[in-house]
Amino acid sequence: MTVEYVDAGEAIDQGDLSGKHGTAPPVVENVTYERILDARSEPQNWLTYYGAYNGQRFSPLDQINTENVKGIGPAWIFQSGTSGMIAGASTYAFEASPLVVDGIMYVSGWDGWVWALDAKTGTEIWRYKHATPFDISLCCGNVNRGVAVAKGKVFSVTPNAHVIALDAATGKKIWDKTYGDVRAGESATVAPLVVKNMVVVGSSGGEFGVRGHLDAFDLDSGEHVWRCYMVPKPGEPGSETWPSDGQAWARGGANCWLTGTFDPETNLLYIGTGNPAPDFDGEVREGDNLFTDSIVAVDADSGQIRWHYQCTPHDVWDYDSISECILFESEGRKLLGHFDKNGYFFVVDRTNGELVQITPFVDRIDWGNITRDGKVTPARYPDKEGDPVHFYPGPAGAKEWTHAAYSPETELFYVPIQDVGATATRRRREFKESIPYWGAGVQVDIEDMTGYVSAFDANGEEKWRWRNNLPMCASVLATAGNLVFAGTPSGEFNALDARTGELLWQFQCGSGHHSSPTTYSVDGRQFVVVPVGWGGWAEGFLPGMLGAGHGSALIAFALPEGTPSR
Amino acid sequence: MTTSSAQDRAELLHKLGLDTQNKGPIGRVITTGNIEQAKEHEDGTMHVRLRINPDEIAWDPAVIVMPHGGDLEIEIFNDDLNTHCALFPSNGDRKFIWLVNHSRGRAKLNLDGPGYYWFSSPTGNDEGRGLTGAIVVLGDVPPEARLDRPEQPRP
Repeated sequence: MTVEYVDAGEAIDQGDLSGKHGTAPPVVENVTYERILDARSEPQNWLTYYGAYNGQRFSPLDQINTENVKGIGPAWIFQSGTSGMIAGASTYAFEASPLVVDGIMYVSGWDGWVWALDAKTGTEIWRYKHATPFDISLCCGNVNRGVAVAKGKVFSVTPNAHVIALDAATGKKIWDKTYGDVRAGESATVAPLVVKNMVVVGSSGGEFGVRGHLDAFDLDSGEHVWRCYMVPKPGEPGSETWPSDGQAWARGGANCWLTGTFDPETNLLYIGTGNPAPDFDGEVREGDNLFTDSIVAVDADSGQIRWHYQCTPHDVWDYDSISECILFESEGRKLLGHFDKNGYFFVVDRTNGELVQITPFVDRIDWGNITRDGKVTPARYPDKEGDPVHFYPGPAGAKEWTHAAYSPETELFYVPIQDVGATATRRRREFKESIPYWGAGVQVDIEDMTGYVSAFDANGEEKWRWRNNLPMCASVLATAGNLVFAGTPSGEFNALDARTGELLWQFQCGSGHHSSPTTYSVDGRQFVVVPVGWGGWAEGFLPGMLGAGHGSALIAFALPEGTPSR
Repeated sequence: MTTSSAQDRAELLHKLGLDTQNKGPIGRVITTGNIEQAKEHEDGTMHVRLRINPDEIAWDPAVIVMPHGGDLEIEIFNDDLNTHCALFPSNGDRKFIWLVNHSRGRAKLNLDGPGYYWFSSPTGNDEGRGLTGAIVVLGDVPPEARLDRPEQPRP
């Protein structure tokens, strides 16, 4: 006798079983380019990756300040956790920078997650999950650094190099464009930047010998507007800095894997580019290798390079220059500050790329030196096959991708610093698509390392230093409450006095910090929110903490409800 | 003992008890089962049948191959004498279905690009016992997403 099957129906969205799903109010409908231009006039919100186009990571909020910060505590915690087998199962990390629009938070996670949360309570409103191939090439962990918002949409990139637009109210996908080739070793981790009616994104994959690029897409339709390659083809400007024969240029790297800044007056995007490939074997790519390891000014309308400043010509230490370009004014000049992986703080005239000053910002630099007028002299580098060479800083840099901040009130830059070295042994290999293309064996030190948060003025003078026994591997946040927030690899979230560096408050979050905290307010109450979840490329920036536990918590801190403002 | 060919491998898997329950290891080593290519309809959607056979605690096929990215419809049959479930990757959200004994259901997935993805029965330790399978998407990214450079060597 045949027994009829029980009808199990059709598979449903897993999120329908979370008990937490709904629709967000239409707060993003009216987020326009004009509002983002003036983002800091809305201190209750954090509308774009750095809080403003200038990259300062500064908030005018001052309800939480040096006088009362010792009274803040967790207001809510959001945890997603991870389940099943995911790409980079041992390297996922929570590296995002949460955005907030009128009480709604938009934040991305690892492995294709995007969430909308109630910023007052932490309650999940909707979720989006992009299916991520298990076998994509990820040099540095299954991570994502944040989303962008505008015109009713939330924009995100996916690990398999798509840029997607989601309905900010529902989390449903509106458009989806592929802008990288996973078979070539490309991926995506960058937080998109909305500029005018475009969303600008860059590619990852510099450790796999790709050709880095920056792309712009139309906000409404997803139509591709322009692409700017950061390694020129033969015959193009800069191609003379690559070998004239062979295909070194085609595998040259220079990925734009971190969000740029933007000045509407110059109409320039300021982008930091990644390392050349292969990372440590310079002999196969003689020359300066433009536009790797450079600050590149790109015309926002045309996608054309207007000027560049190369921080490490012919890099053989993996010193990406992807770090943020912080825009500020000093003595009537429009300047740009950039703390490079190579250990030097560059200040450049952002109208033309002219060097203003260079200062070392970490104690130990022996890879070479850069003079005040910008002359670079390499000293220690892996140039002989099989010969180990130790150098400072290691390949994660004196400052990794995690961001510095600048307070226009104190006129100081606040910098998370990693003082750790590494040994590289050159090992030449043939190039093959999607296979790691480093040209060396690399081991980062697990002893004799330290870290600090330092405050520098625009002339490169260090004003104070807060020391930590481990390198500092998380972005800092500056506020008008004269506070600098900085997380540590061992889990502490710290508030420092922005004027002196004195530690005023500390909370153990249970996992290491490798993200970008932000601040906002809802109904007059200020929150400081930090994604906490150790992981990523820990073997590169802090292998001494490779055994530390992962996490996946988003923690919002605030003063107790009802606390009077100062 | 080692193996050096595909034929040897299948024989060795069986001889060592890696492709069945509670013979070699406690469970069945994942993806040691069948491989099946999804069938493509004229409209481009793809289709495959997926079963859980009695007492195997494994997917049949264990590896589903899509010829390219797109929409995949799966007919699922739980012929086992125990309850399982299925969690599939899909763009938007993962798809979940509960599968009581002797039940059948369906799932509609969207997977957009080359690579492979895991699916499983996330109850008890079905995943470790063998109910973890793979969906492989063949093909390339769209031409406009490829790098502007000469063809490069691959492994």
